[in-house]
Amino acid sequence: MDEEYDVIVLGTGLKECILSGLLSVDGLKVLHMDRNDYYGGASTSLNLTQLWKRFRGDDTPAENLGSSREYNVDMIPKFMMANGALVRVLIHTNVTKYLNFKAVDGSFVYNKGKIYKVPATDVEALKSPLMGLFEKRRARKFFIYVQDYETNDPKSHEGLDLNQVTARQLISKYGLEDDTVDFIGHALALHRDDNYLDEPAKDFVDRVKIYAESLARFQGGSPYIYPLYGLGELPQAFARLSAVYGGTYMLNKPECKVEFDENGKAIGVTSEGETAKCKKIVCDPSYLSDKVQKVGKVARAICIMSHPIPDTKDSHSAQVILPQKQLGRKSDMYLFCCSYAHNVAAKGKYIAFVTTEAETDNPEVELKPGIDLLGPVDEIFYDTYDRFEPCNDHEADGCFISTSYDATTHFETTVKDVVELYSKITGKVLDLSVDLSAASAATEE
Amino acid sequence: MSGSEDEGGEEYLFKIVIIGDSAVGKSNLLSRYARNEFNMHSKATIGVEFQTQCLEIDSKEVKAQIWDTAGQERFRAVTSAYYRGAVGALIVYDISRRTTFDSVGRWLDELKTHCDTTVAMMLVGNKCDLENIRAVSIDEGKSLAEAEGLFFMETSALDSTNVKMAFEMVIREIYNNVSRKVLNSETYKAELSVNRVSLVNNGAATSKQNQTYFSCCSR
Repeated sequence: MDEEYDVIVLGTGLKECILSGLLSVDGLKVLHMDRNDYYGGASTSLNLTQLWKRFRGDDTPAENLGSSREYNVDMIPKFMMANGALVRVLIHTNVTKYLNFKAVDGSFVYNKGKIYKVPATDVEALKSPLMGLFEKRRARKFFIYVQDYETNDPKSHEGLDLNQVTARQLISKYGLEDDTVDFIGHALALHRDDNYLDEPAKDFVDRVKIYAESLARFQGGSPYIYPLYGLGELPQAFARLSAVYGGTYMLNKPECKVEFDENGKAIGVTSEGETAKCKKIVCDPSYLSDKVQKVGKVARAICIMSHPIPDTKDSHSAQVILPQKQLGRKSDMYLFCCSYAHNVAAKGKYIAFVTTEAETDNPEVELKPGIDLLGPVDEIFYDTYDRFEPCNDHEADGCFISTSYDATTHFETTVKDVVELYSKITGKVLDLSVDLSAASAATEE
Repeated sequence: MSGSEDEGGEEYLFKIVIIGDSAVGKSNLLSRYARNEFNMHSKATIGVEFQTQCLEIDSKEVKAQIWDTAGQERFRAVTSAYYRGAVGALIVYDISRRTTFDSVGRWLDELKTHCDTTVAMMLVGNKCDLENIRAVSIDEGKSLAEAEGLFFMETSALDSTNVKMAFEMVIREIYNNVSRKVLNSETYKAELSVNRVSLVNNGAATSKQNQTYFSCCSR
């Protein structure tokens, strides 16, 4: 330390590591520090010993679960959409060379007490038991409209200006039933609540398109992919990118106190008696807690099981979305499951997460509808964490603070935050128009 | 392997990592081996990724993908992902700096924490051209290697002494380990391959990359 940098990044969460990588590639001199002795911050993956230490207060996991090292339990469980924003970032930065991915086996939605495969195309819609015969015809017309819609082709708009028409109005035009709207809005467009219905339909349609295109990308059972060895690989991959372009990494740095000048502008970071100077600070909310405000809380359960989630056709990896209306809640609940097939658990073991925006102070009661779908559980850990948003003036203080991760099982909101932060930090727009067509399912013997 | 199991054209891709304290010469060892280059200015590593080298063993093409730390070891920030899938490792110290030899134990601990026990490991005492300011004797290096079950070699990336030999010895040992295991790992390999996807158009590399998981079967 005791050097001068353009940017000091605090916390090695995924957002911070992506930014560190991007800024280093841009030629900025970056110092990246974390108070922990591991990468990932809030978005890390823990082995069994770390998991026990964090949630049980001891470091002696149950012996029948296998070796601690075989586990990589994500603290922020999310899948990547195959055509989604995070894949674009990975391709844009060429970080794919450090990672290996598998298609996620299945994507499901909860409806009236049962789990159903999520249809995403007109062909699938016709087969789905989620809808009756006449509803299928209406849904098919809707899906064809969405598939054919092109922003730059007025003919495909069929007289509708999606920047004016609300999602509710669009859905009404196709006469879709409430249950159909539920699964399209929550399981395809991945909205967390029903506020989208009264907003312009453009975002809703774009999201359904991304889902359908992601599903087609690898022609698998779902539109999602997931890295071998868990999500903790992602921040590490971007950290390596930063290091390759000159970024300096320091772990296990306690305190990491941000120093300000008399005008309230950040000028450096002090840790263990040494100060590194800089022009800008990038960090997660925990490093500048007086500059963030609480905006919500996530409740979650982490489960170790010896079987896949029932009724998911033995999927080694799966997502189940429980729309808010099905549960009588304000926000959706999410089930996320991965397993030894992704090298995140010992052979024969599965890791399942139940996550939602907390509406009570009792996660065990609140998460019960999701946990009941899991079947027998070997071990379960309950947890809540607060979500924060920055409330500082970054122009004045030179601090760029990321927003906490939400409860969704995908990364679209995560990358949106990164793109916005990048623009604020550099004044430039991040161009993520990459060629996705090169991506393909590997042909295996 | 018996003749009947010899498959013409089979290819292997082995990931090898180089670890050790800053400025012991890890990057120059790699650049000397891969491109026969040496850089006198020892700044922390910038721009070095990994190098791929081809070798032929028993009529089979073997590719070694050799990773450098990109400078993350300077403040003890090497990622666990760096070690992921590695089947070989060179633990490097500088014979003219005692502290780098004293750090070998810590590097071994880190390696054993993240890697399979069958990783082929070599202890490398680099900068043997600096005989006049030697701080670690050959016997000390050899004794530590024997105690830890490692291969041992002194090298000089500057004058090329033993560099090629060191890497090729590790690669051959990996090949021997993999040959013994491959017949038992078919099922697990197939399992790991299911649903694999590639985000960029390098299908061939993806297929070869799978072979680095041969060593996973003993997890």
